[in-house]
Amino acid sequence: MKKLLTLIALVAFVFNAKAQDFKFGKVSKEELQEKVHTIDSSANAAVLFKSEIISFTFSQSNGFTQKREVHERIKIYNKEGYDWATKKIYLYKGSSGASKENVTNIKGYTYNLEGGKVNKDKLRKDGIFEEEYNDFTEINTLTMPNVQDGCVIEYIYTIASPFYQIDDVQLQKSIPINTLKIRVATPQFFKYNRLSNPNAFYFPKSKLSREKKSYTTTSSNGSDVRWTRAAITKTKDDYFEDIITLSDVNVPAIKEEAFAGNMDNYTSKMSFELVAFLNEFGAPEKSFSSSWEKVSKTIYKRPSFGDQIKRTNFFEDDIASINAGIDDPFHKAALLSNYVKTKVKWNGYYGVSAYKGTKDAYKEGEGNVADINLLLIAMLKSQGVDANPVLVSTKNNGIPLYPTRKGFNYVICMVENQGQYVLIDATERYGLLNVLPERALNWQGRLIKDDGSSSWVSLMPSKQSQESTSLNVKLEEDLSITGKVRQMITSNLALRYKKEYIGLSKDDQLKLLEKNKGAIEISETQMDVKDNGAFSISYNYNLNDAVDDIGGKLYFSPLLFMAEKENPFKLDERKYPIDFKMPLKDKYKVNIMLPQGYKVEALPKSEVMEFKEGAVKYTFVAKQNGNFIQLSTEFDLKSPIIDSSDYSVFKEFYGKVVEKQAEQIVLSKL
Amino acid sequence: MKYIKALLVCVFSLLFAVSSSQSDIDYKASTIPISLKIKANAVVRFDKQIVEINDFDDMYITTKRIVTVFNEYGNRHQNAFEGYDGNTKIKKMEARIYNESGEEIKKFKLRDFSDQSAVSGGTLYSDSRVKYLSYTPVKYPYTIEYVSEVQMKSTAFVPQWRPIDDYYVSVENSEYKIINNSDVKIRTKSENFDTYNIEALSDIHVKAENLSGIKYEAYNPGISNIVPSLKSALSTFNMEGVKGENNNWEDFGKWMYNKLITGTDAIPQSAIDEVKALTANTTDNLEKAKQVYQYMQDKTRYISVQVGIGGWKPMDAMDVDKLGYSDCKGLTNYTKALLEAVGVPSYYTVVWGDNDIKSIDSEFSVTEGNHVILCVPHNEENIFLECTSQTNPFGFTAGFTDDRDVLLVTPEGGKITHTKVYNAEDSQQITTANINITATGDISAQVEVKTTGYQYSLHEHVVNQSLRDQKLNYKEYWDNINNLEVLSIDINNDKNGVVLKETIALKASNYASKSGNRLILMPNMFNRMTNIPPRYEKRNLDFKLQRAYKDVDEFIIDLPEGIVVEAMGEGEKVESKFGFYEYKIEQIDSSKLKYSRTHIMNKGNYSKEDYSAFRDFKKQIVKLDKTKIVLKVN
Repeated sequence: MKKLLTLIALVAFVFNAKAQDFKFGKVSKEELQEKVHTIDSSANAAVLFKSEIISFTFSQSNGFTQKREVHERIKIYNKEGYDWATKKIYLYKGSSGASKENVTNIKGYTYNLEGGKVNKDKLRKDGIFEEEYNDFTEINTLTMPNVQDGCVIEYIYTIASPFYQIDDVQLQKSIPINTLKIRVATPQFFKYNRLSNPNAFYFPKSKLSREKKSYTTTSSNGSDVRWTRAAITKTKDDYFEDIITLSDVNVPAIKEEAFAGNMDNYTSKMSFELVAFLNEFGAPEKSFSSSWEKVSKTIYKRPSFGDQIKRTNFFEDDIASINAGIDDPFHKAALLSNYVKTKVKWNGYYGVSAYKGTKDAYKEGEGNVADINLLLIAMLKSQGVDANPVLVSTKNNGIPLYPTRKGFNYVICMVENQGQYVLIDATERYGLLNVLPERALNWQGRLIKDDGSSSWVSLMPSKQSQESTSLNVKLEEDLSITGKVRQMITSNLALRYKKEYIGLSKDDQLKLLEKNKGAIEISETQMDVKDNGAFSISYNYNLNDAVDDIGGKLYFSPLLFMAEKENPFKLDERKYPIDFKMPLKDKYKVNIMLPQGYKVEALPKSEVMEFKEGAVKYTFVAKQNGNFIQLSTEFDLKSPIIDSSDYSVFKEFYGKVVEKQAEQIVLSKL
Repeated sequence: MKYIKALLVCVFSLLFAVSSSQSDIDYKASTIPISLKIKANAVVRFDKQIVEINDFDDMYITTKRIVTVFNEYGNRHQNAFEGYDGNTKIKKMEARIYNESGEEIKKFKLRDFSDQSAVSGGTLYSDSRVKYLSYTPVKYPYTIEYVSEVQMKSTAFVPQWRPIDDYYVSVENSEYKIINNSDVKIRTKSENFDTYNIEALSDIHVKAENLSGIKYEAYNPGISNIVPSLKSALSTFNMEGVKGENNNWEDFGKWMYNKLITGTDAIPQSAIDEVKALTANTTDNLEKAKQVYQYMQDKTRYISVQVGIGGWKPMDAMDVDKLGYSDCKGLTNYTKALLEAVGVPSYYTVVWGDNDIKSIDSEFSVTEGNHVILCVPHNEENIFLECTSQTNPFGFTAGFTDDRDVLLVTPEGGKITHTKVYNAEDSQQITTANINITATGDISAQVEVKTTGYQYSLHEHVVNQSLRDQKLNYKEYWDNINNLEVLSIDINNDKNGVVLKETIALKASNYASKSGNRLILMPNMFNRMTNIPPRYEKRNLDFKLQRAYKDVDEFIIDLPEGIVVEAMGEGEKVESKFGFYEYKIEQIDSSKLKYSRTHIMNKGNYSKEDYSAFRDFKKQIVKLDKTKIVLKVN
């Protein structure tokens, strides 16, 4: 027996010795002496050590409670890294207020090297701020004392949570992480799906294992009248824990790139979704989700979802007249979605669950995404239209690649008829059938039918948005230019324009049109929404600074103020794709009238440029026709995503387009 | 601008503002006079605020406000919120919403208002909270009636009357009245009453009728300087339990010195010893101040924590020394204590810190300001230290606290003084470059950009960027050059002389555009102005150019063999009261061109009639900056 104890002690010691490097409260001189990160010299700070240990402990009164122990040690190289000395801990409260997360055991030190000695400053109470942020959130903010260039800070804390949901474990930060250690142990009674972000370019090594545990419950023999010791029985039950450990060294930092969309989509993390409660034999007692089919069904079964679609009595009288005499389901959908838009305004909140319920939202004229779109579906169904909800994950929620309920945060409406379908989002004032707001344009959504069956539908705009511009140009004697612009914009691009221009005063529209167009003066502006939903803009202009008279010759670029001025792709390399958000076609027809007494001396060469066998194509045709120069150009982007591996080729292609547009027409005197 | 929103709490209190009692207003949107609908996203139909002063530490504010909102941009004019904390109690808060035809459609009681801690962007912690209405309008126009009653123990911030508090909002009726039930004296000051339809029934009772909305225009002198306002201050006031006297700035400053600062400035002996040792080999006060400032910068960092005495009392210097962080008040006070230890006098200084220039009102003492800096008197000059920055050069204030009236808090009382003005010669940007151009129009160049003064502050951010971000920075800075490639970067930050020198080697393909056998080259590659101020059919507001500056550029362009100049301009000069501009192109020898450019902008206040001349001046510069040279390839 004695021998065994020694062995255990020895094992523990060995284990400790190995982990000793990052024992809380002890840093090495080497860590403090380091001036710059050895791998990423651009880092202003680096996480030397990050550990998170998540476990569940049993108590008879509370059942299982979740514990999350966090330990982070951060090296701060310079003043730009000082923000890392402040840490915010978010704690959630249930709606009842009774169940809430708590943070305990907050401890921290700042270490500085002073005269060759390690100097330690303790994080005290006055550096910890508790704040009731709102009804659902409490924030605890730690700020470390005596932070100086080259210091190391370190803190630990423990969050105790009555909830079984496990917050995402972040595996990457905007600074490098030198050593990462994550351990998540969940009791056999809870089944979680473990999901890692497939869009991340980095993922740490992981290991799965299982460990034996036990818990003790006490019970009394109720039939025994006399309360005696003997009547109390203690039961010890065994169970096992599923454990995943993620550990690695040298985790690279994630860095912001323009035109990539939400960087969160690319950050390495692990999500845990509770999919079922299991009984002691491993059979599900209550299951939540594990396949897309199940996820969809679970959501549909909620009273705040499925039931909302079925309630119709409260609006039936109001909408009876709207559809009178109309048979076409798409036409009905257009009319009713307009009706919903005027009746119920979006309060800015997302959600797959109705917040107020369709009835109250209808009555009060306000609701979240689900309130509004489920109401539209209910109305359409009541009119015999085949309308159903489509679950969506918005752009800022990331792409749902695994079946999780958390994966969906938005819902829209789909109407089908004879093998064709349209998608509608009635929260977007200027949206149309099949023109969804950009927040919802995220890859694919999940259609759910009344019988609970579900399937994928693509959310990407299938139709290319077009912007067609005709530009008339007349050179006056004083070398100013006058002319007229007519533009027609369709589909999703039209939505973008509408959101920008409609609702502005005439004055502000003018200001916005004149912006970044040089010494232009615009007049007689006209903006209209066409019956088919396209947006048209027309105006007259006068331009003072477009023509250069150098040595008796006239120089100007034919697209004038419409030319792309710079290549927006400035990074040398990218890790993430470029997202144009919609397929696009941008066309110009320019008609230039030559001034009296001048002839064309040089025209830019007509040319066709292609990227990746025509995935993106730029056509530029210039020709003289009597007294006119005629130019037509077209930028044709068939798919909105440009892969990062094609970046440098695309950047060069785009640069050539910009250059082409800068080429000059030269006129000389007759 | 990551500087501290330090005295946020006080700004907040000023916003508390205005309420009223209504006569016979109806809630129909249609009854608003047409003249008020123009240039307005919302119309304040009725606004009455009564401020009852019951004692120096008891103020009761009753607000009633009816606003018709025409569109989503008008929602912000609801002003249906109240800040509160331990010393401010919200007694009543109610709102009703009426539809276009004046029927009530919704009602909010106190518990229906959302509640949140009033922590703004950069603030780490604040003990103040805010209750606000969150209402999603169903239809425009709608009318909101908002009523509140608030009891305050602090009387340091008496709500100001400012009937027009923003652009694009008109006012039908507004009234403000102070009822003084105490023997505390009240001083008031009115501004811009003459040019608006305002009736002053007494010093403390004012009314306004039919004030049209104001349209935003670029370069305006700041809305608060244009609109009518009435500010008030009590001669005896309470700030979170601390009693004070305020008849003039001298009183107020004395109160601050005695009640807020004295007693917070003790520092540990170890710190005294350290700064004494540090400054042992000099007797020059300026030199000592520099060393102490550097010591403070190395030792501390800025963190915004708004607690204690309405966010006006600095943290104990002892704690700052121990923790190594504080907000602007604490860091300034700490620096002051360190300087005292080495025998250098300095003054705690209250200021409005912002890129826009805003002064403390020298004629009327009232609790105001949002930031604190330190003044070190040196001979005839005052040197001001920004204590919240770890990198700011000694005495450098351009861009945040320059050129404005500030309040010095001295043992003898408050004193108003003016911070450093950076004139054109102080704020220079000198760009020189040697450029090689090839027969295909590619360029390679060595460029040096030297900046001082205000222009230093516009470039300084590059110093601590990573190489990747620096490269991006120059690609954005010279966005007129397509295909720019940055080859090397060398940055020399002379903090002593406050001169930043950036040396960049770069190249770009096809910079000069081709046209047959010609190359068209814009010689101003590295300092091209492209922004023309917006055009107004009819300018309504006077305008202001806040800061002067001077740019000097000289680019030497080397032409390869076989390329000759076919045509180029020689230069042009433009002079106006707004500034000066001149460029010249000279052929130095057969293969060398020299492009030189000088541009000076003057600061000043100008009338609205001058705006189009100002715009023309800028327009001309934009045009001349695009001057081209035609080269011929033989």
